[in-house]
Formats: sequence, structure tokens, C-alpha cells
Amino acid sequence: MIEKANILNPDDLERVIKRISHEILERNRGSENLVIIGLRKRGVPLARRIADRIESFEEKKVDFGKLDISFYRDDFGMKIKSDVEKTEIGFDITDKNVILVDDVLFTGRTIRAAMDAIIDLGRPRSIQLVVLIDRGHRELPIRADYVGKNVPTSRNELVMVKLKETDGEDGVILLEKEEDVK
Amino acid sequence: MGSKILISNGSLADPETGRFCRKDIYIEGRLIKDIADKIEAGSGDIKIIDARGMIVMPGLVDMHVHLRDPGFEEEETIESGAEAALAGGITSMACMPNTSPAIDSPHLVKYVIEKADSTDCSIYPVAAMTKGIAGKEITEMGLLSEEGAVAFSDDGRCVSDARLMFEIMRYSVQFGKPLVLHEEEYSFSGYGLMHEGKFSTRLGLEGISRLSDDIIIQRDIMLAGKTGARIHITHVSTSAAVDMIRRAKKNGVPVTCDVTSHHLFFNDSFLEGFNTNLKVKPPLRSRDDQMALIEGVKDGTIDAIISDHAPHLDTEKNTTFRAAEFGTIGLETLFASSYTKLCRDNGVGIDKLVRLLTLGPSSIIGINAGKISRGKSADITVADPGADFTPAADSFRSRSKNSAFIGQKLYGKIKYTVKKGKIVYESGSN
Amino acid sequence: MLSKKSILQVDDLEKEDVIKIMDTADSFTDISKREIKKVPILRGKAVVNLFFESSTRTRTSFEVAAKRLSADMINFSASTSSLKKGESIMDTLRTILAMQVDLVVVRHSDSGTVKMVDDLIDIPVINAGDGKHQHPTQALLDLYTIRSRFKECRGLKVAIVGDFLNSRVAASDILLFEKMGMDVSIVAPSMLLPEDCSGFKIYSCIDDVIESADIIYMLRMQFERQGRKFYPSIREYNRFFSLNRDRVGRMKESAVIMHPGPVNRGIEISDEVMGGTRSPYSSVIIEDQVTGGVAIRMAILYLILG
Repeated sequence: MIEKANILNPDDLERVIKRISHEILERNRGSENLVIIGLRKRGVPLARRIADRIESFEEKKVDFGKLDISFYRDDFGMKIKSDVEKTEIGFDITDKNVILVDDVLFTGRTIRAAMDAIIDLGRPRSIQLVVLIDRGHRELPIRADYVGKNVPTSRNELVMVKLKETDGEDGVILLEKEEDVK
Repeated sequence: MGSKILISNGSLADPETGRFCRKDIYIEGRLIKDIADKIEAGSGDIKIIDARGMIVMPGLVDMHVHLRDPGFEEEETIESGAEAALAGGITSMACMPNTSPAIDSPHLVKYVIEKADSTDCSIYPVAAMTKGIAGKEITEMGLLSEEGAVAFSDDGRCVSDARLMFEIMRYSVQFGKPLVLHEEEYSFSGYGLMHEGKFSTRLGLEGISRLSDDIIIQRDIMLAGKTGARIHITHVSTSAAVDMIRRAKKNGVPVTCDVTSHHLFFNDSFLEGFNTNLKVKPPLRSRDDQMALIEGVKDGTIDAIISDHAPHLDTEKNTTFRAAEFGTIGLETLFASSYTKLCRDNGVGIDKLVRLLTLGPSSIIGINAGKISRGKSADITVADPGADFTPAADSFRSRSKNSAFIGQKLYGKIKYTVKKGKIVYESGSN
Repeated sequence: MLSKKSILQVDDLEKEDVIKIMDTADSFTDISKREIKKVPILRGKAVVNLFFESSTRTRTSFEVAAKRLSADMINFSASTSSLKKGESIMDTLRTILAMQVDLVVVRHSDSGTVKMVDDLIDIPVINAGDGKHQHPTQALLDLYTIRSRFKECRGLKVAIVGDFLNSRVAASDILLFEKMGMDVSIVAPSMLLPEDCSGFKIYSCIDDVIESADIIYMLRMQFERQGRKFYPSIREYNRFFSLNRDRVGRMKESAVIMHPGPVNRGIEISDEVMGGTRSPYSSVIIEDQVTGGVAIRMAILYLILG
């Protein structure tokens, strides 16, 4: 892997989160009935940051949860699975506007699994999707409602999101597999 | 005048003298013509066996095999058993009477002897002690002896009735034949599948206590001391049994005993994979018992090594451990397994091993075999101590394939078996 | 995702496997509490319950587990009477393999038979109890129940009470509990113990452990599995081994009572301790074992087929 481009630096990331938080509030007319759910694993700290922003803008708590989609995947048995982490959603999502947060939107399969998982938990009024990076190459008819940055990529490129909570630093970079560089 | 064979450069293990040294052997016709340090191959048609580095010994004697004939011919016949024996270097063997019908009447003894005549192996019938091996009534031991039974045994079963055993012993004295005793107390062995110990607990398999053997051995030593009967305790498996027999011998009780090659080779820890070929009776005991058996071999308490060759159909072994039959075949691995375990692993001398596989058993059952000297019948086995092999199910001549030794690396491959001056087995001549 | 393809005995599980199974089971415990108690992950997979020995609890538990994972569960009960020979077991396996199944759960009354099945087929096999040998998923669910209650298992004192000799549950539990650093003793009469008990801590009366144990694990008196019955009477058993109100009263505050089920009321545990549909004592956590059993079996199916 070689580093090809720096997509977001730590300041950019902060600005993006702030903007998306505003957009969410604007579109939903406040935080009433909002719940924020982060996808394991980097969607979780992103979601937490968005929830923090919203709480400080609105000066009231919003429900926040963590979703693990292991049991809803469609690539089961392909031996690429990581360990199951606990889904922690300690509130009812029925009739809520669910803000689903993930780091990178790629094929759309993870989001499909996440939506199925959420619907098994209750019947939300709506599900809205936040992604930090949309890198294209969708395999399912899925789109994001809030996008940090659109990054057109080739399939042999890799978008790497780093967050303080999981990786010790903030930033998004574009990598390319070496064999394809020549 | 028949064919001529010269076995040259081999190391001769002579059980009569206990010597193990380089000798050439010259065979003419059915007899050993000469044994000397160096014999030159004369002119003419002579087969020369180059036995450099090999052990040359009398044809082996296995005093305890099950040939399943009559009655269970799909498992083994006298003919197929003889083939298997010769491949194992065995030129004389005694077969047990638990056939169907049991060898409990003179015409059945005759049947075995006549059928055995057509084979290249000498086969001696052991007749039943009780009719139908039912442990109730004494057989016609006199008539059976006259017909050619070399010993009496209810092998596979134990005579539980102590008084009956006492009378069998007293009666056997009148015919001078030994009693080959399978010792088992059924109240201990009834549900058992393997040795009662750490491993039976761990594997959840019902255990057979050592007491099952030991109680009856103690009883029979007492009865033999009282009656003067020649008893031979077969397939000794426990440390206490070795001790009791050692003491009894010291006290002058006419008792001898043998051990199987599988009890020497294995112990109960090998059952961890639930291998039904290791389900035998008496069961493979603990490592301590196994070591006591080896000690018994070393100090002379044990008089013979046997195969207890017990053929079973695939369907009788390829089933659950509980449902599987007891027993392993052993004719074709008798020498190699004993050699590997005793001589290679435990420092027993080759002379001692050879004695336990030749003169030891032949003198117990009183047959003219197990010796090697000028003028005697040329029954000779040649084994290569350096050659190893790993038995597989399809490598046996026996009709049955239920060998405990499948997959075990064994040394001491039989190279040639000569019976009455004829090469009846040559390795690689399948 | 486990170190071996199949689960035949506790010995096959590394400590990491055990922890992974427990952690995964936590997620399934949550799912079993939801309105929709089902996830789609094993959709299209076929699991067979191959039971050569009758069982309701274990069979049902696996069935519920498979169904909650959206797998298809096929129950195949083969009566042992018509299956005396190994040939027939093989014929049964051929039939099952021809149905294109992905995993087989096997129970058999003869020790070692599940291993035999595993040797014969390529797909994963789970031992649901073989003779007196082992019952590894029971041990896992027992450990899971203990872990859920105590959080930390290391150092806990467990007393296993009753028919140790004929119990595959006890055999599996001891191995697993000791693997996880627990302190296990056995309370049993001599005739329900093996000849060689070295290496085990043995007591001859439940009163010897009642005040010190964190877990009292009562075994079922398996009269049907005892070859010969040497124990004198139920009255005598009650006197030395049964749990009654008085003995429960002397247990530690935090201590719990477990049993693999079904309980022989009045033999291992008295009626007053058992109660009606629920025990009046919160220390009786037999139902937690059942609930945990489903989660553990879901975790195992998920991890093996993954």
C-alpha cells in the first residue's frame, strides 16, 4: 500500500462533523425524536461526536447507540469476519428518526445489513444515513443523506479513516495497492 | 533328496544354548544338514539367502491363536490363518477351541489336525476344558488327548465355578496336559469395555478392574498348588498377576504364563481415539502394568509371548466402542511388535525374545518345535531388525483386518520363513 | 473461527475459543430478549439434530438456537435398537449427507460414537452427549451461566454432587471449570465414583461443602445408566447428598444451585426447594442454564459455520 492523497486533515474532519450535525438538525427541525446510532466500529466514535455536537447545540440529550451487524451480513462464511461486538441500543427506536452513522460508504452492503438489523429492533419513522466518505462503487440502490466528502476512487484504492478514539489520531487518507502502481 | 538352501552370514539366535552369534545354516531336503561358522555353497542348484545383518531363528511358535474354523470362516480359516502365520515367521501354532461348534469332542480335534495337514504350518489343537465352553461339565479330556489335543482351555471364557475348576485340574494331571487359563471374574468385567483407570473415567467407557484377572489368578494358583496340575495363565495383563506368578513359581507351583504382544506394546492411554481395534480382553492396562509385564519378561516370570490372534469382521469392529467385539489380529505382527517394544525400546536381549517366541511356548505345550540344530526339521525364520514397516488394513494376509498395530511403525520385518526345508514366505513375494 | 472444525469434547476447545463463545453468546442473549428473536445470519444453512438417544431438552435447545439464526433444522431421531451395527450408523450418515446439510448435532448412548461420526464425515459435528463420555455444550452453558452470575470465574468453588461415575455432564464440567481456574470438588458415595479417584477432591456428604461452595452443582441420579445398582436407598441418598431447605439455608449468600435437568424431585433436590414453576429461592438458577443454553448453542452454531 502506498499513500496517494490526504483527503481530510484533523481540522477538516472537525468541520465536516460540525456541518453534518447542523444539517441533521436543520432537516429534522431540531433533535426531538432523533436517535443516533453508530456502526461498529468507526461509525461509533463518529456518531458519538455528532451526538455531542447536537446535544451542545440543542442543550439536551439525544439517545445514542452502537450497532454490530455481524448477524445480518450477506458475506457470511467467506471467512472475512471479525469478532462479534455487542449491539448496545438501550432505547426503543419505534417512531424515531434514526441517524445511522458509518465512516465509509462503498458497496452499500453494510448499510443494507444495518437497516435490516434496525428494523428487527422496531419500526422507526425514518432511517437517515451519515457517512464521512462516499467512495462510490455501489452494488445496491443505497445513498447517503449526509456526506462528509465524495471521493471518486478506483477499486484498487482504499480509503483509510483514522479516529482518535480508535486509532489515536484523526484523518482520512487514500491508499493504493502497490501492485497496481507499477 | 530335496532342494538345498544356504542361509549365510546371519546371526543365529539359538534358544537352547541362549547364544546369539554369526552362523551359516545349510538345509537339504526337509532337514538342517549343517550349522557352522562358515559354510561354502557347493556346486549345483542351491538357493542362497544372504542374511547379513539379519536375525536367524527357529520358526516361531505361537501357542495362542483363534483360527475361527469351524464356524466363523468369513473371519478366518485354518488355511488363511496358516498363511498369515507364515508371513509372521510362525511355523507352529496352537489354536483355541472357541469355535462353533467348540473343539470339545475328538472328531473336532481330528477335523483341525486333518485340515491343518494341507497347510505349510504346523497347527496343534487346544481342546475345550468344558463341554461347549459353557463352564458346566468337563470334556472327555482323555479321548481328546489321545486324538492329539496339546492342551485344554476354555479361552474366551473363564470357569467361574471354583469346585469345577478344582476337578478339571485334578483330572488334567492324569493326562499330563497343561491347562491354558483365561482368568476373568465376571462380576468385575461384566459391563467393562477397557481398563478401569484414569483413561476409562476420562473416556466415559466402563472399566474392567485389575481385580477381574487377579482374583481368579490367585484362586487358580491355590488350586494348582493343591492339585499339582500344570496351569498356564494366558494373556497376563496386570502387575499383581506378574507378582503372584513370580511368587508361585518360587514356591514350586507348576505354573507358567504368557503375555500378548499387544499388552507389551500398548497401554490404556492409546484408547483415547476410541480405536476399536484396541478393544481387547483382558483390556490394555495402565503404563505401570505394561512396564511390569516387560519386567516379567526380563526376569523370566513370563514364559512365552503370544499373538492371541483374534480375527473379527469389519462390521464387528467398525461400530461403536461398546458394540465392537474384543480382540485384535496379531500373527503377522507378533515378532516385529515384540522386537520393537522389548529389544529396541526396553533393552531386552534378542536371545531372550527369541526364546519366548520359540522354545518357551513349545515346551509348555510339549511340541517338537522351537529348536534349531543339525538333523532337525528345517523350520527357520529370518527377520531384518533394521527394516521397518507400518501395517495398514490392506497389508494383512489374514482374512480379517482388525489389527491394533495399524499405523504403528514396527521394526524387525520377517524376510523369510522356511518350513520343513521349503521357503514358504519371502517378504515382497506377495 | 474456532480452533477445531467440530466440538467433540471440552479438550478440543482452547481457552480463547471458550471466551469467544461466551462473548458471542452475550450478543445472542440480548437478541433472545427482543421482540424479534431472530437474526438472518444462517439463512439457507441446514442443521441436523441426529439423536440416537432420546432427548427433549438438548434437542429442543439446539432447535431453538438454529431457528433463531434462521437456519433450517432437521430432526432425525434414530432408535438405537435398529442401529446395533456401525454399518447402520454409516447408512444413516449417508442419508443425511445426501440431504446437503451443513452441520450435524449428534447424541448417542455409546461413548466415542460422536467422534466416530466426525471421523466419517467432512462437515462439522457437535457432540450433544455421547454415553458417559462428554457433553461439551452443557459444560459451556454451565460456565456461561456461572460467568453471567459471578462475572469472574477464577477461584470460584464448585461442588459437583451425585452420580459422578455415570455423568458425562460432570466429566465435561470438571475439565472446563478447571480450565477456567475454578476449584472443583466432587461429593459422591463410593459406588458412584471410579476405582481410581486420585487427582479429584472427594467428599462423602454435601454438608462438607454446603457452607463453602459458591456453586452447588447437583447431578441427576442416572439410574438408567448405572450398570448395576449398588446404592442402598433414596432415603440414604437424601440424608447425605440431597438439597433441602435446611441445607440451602446454610449456603453462602451469593452461592447458587445448578442442575443439568431434568431434576428428580425428592432425590437430588427437595420439592420445597424446587417450588412450582419457579423456585422460591433466587439461588436456584436452573432456568438460567436453559436460557443460557440457547445463547451458547447459537454462538457455537454461528462460530462454527462462520
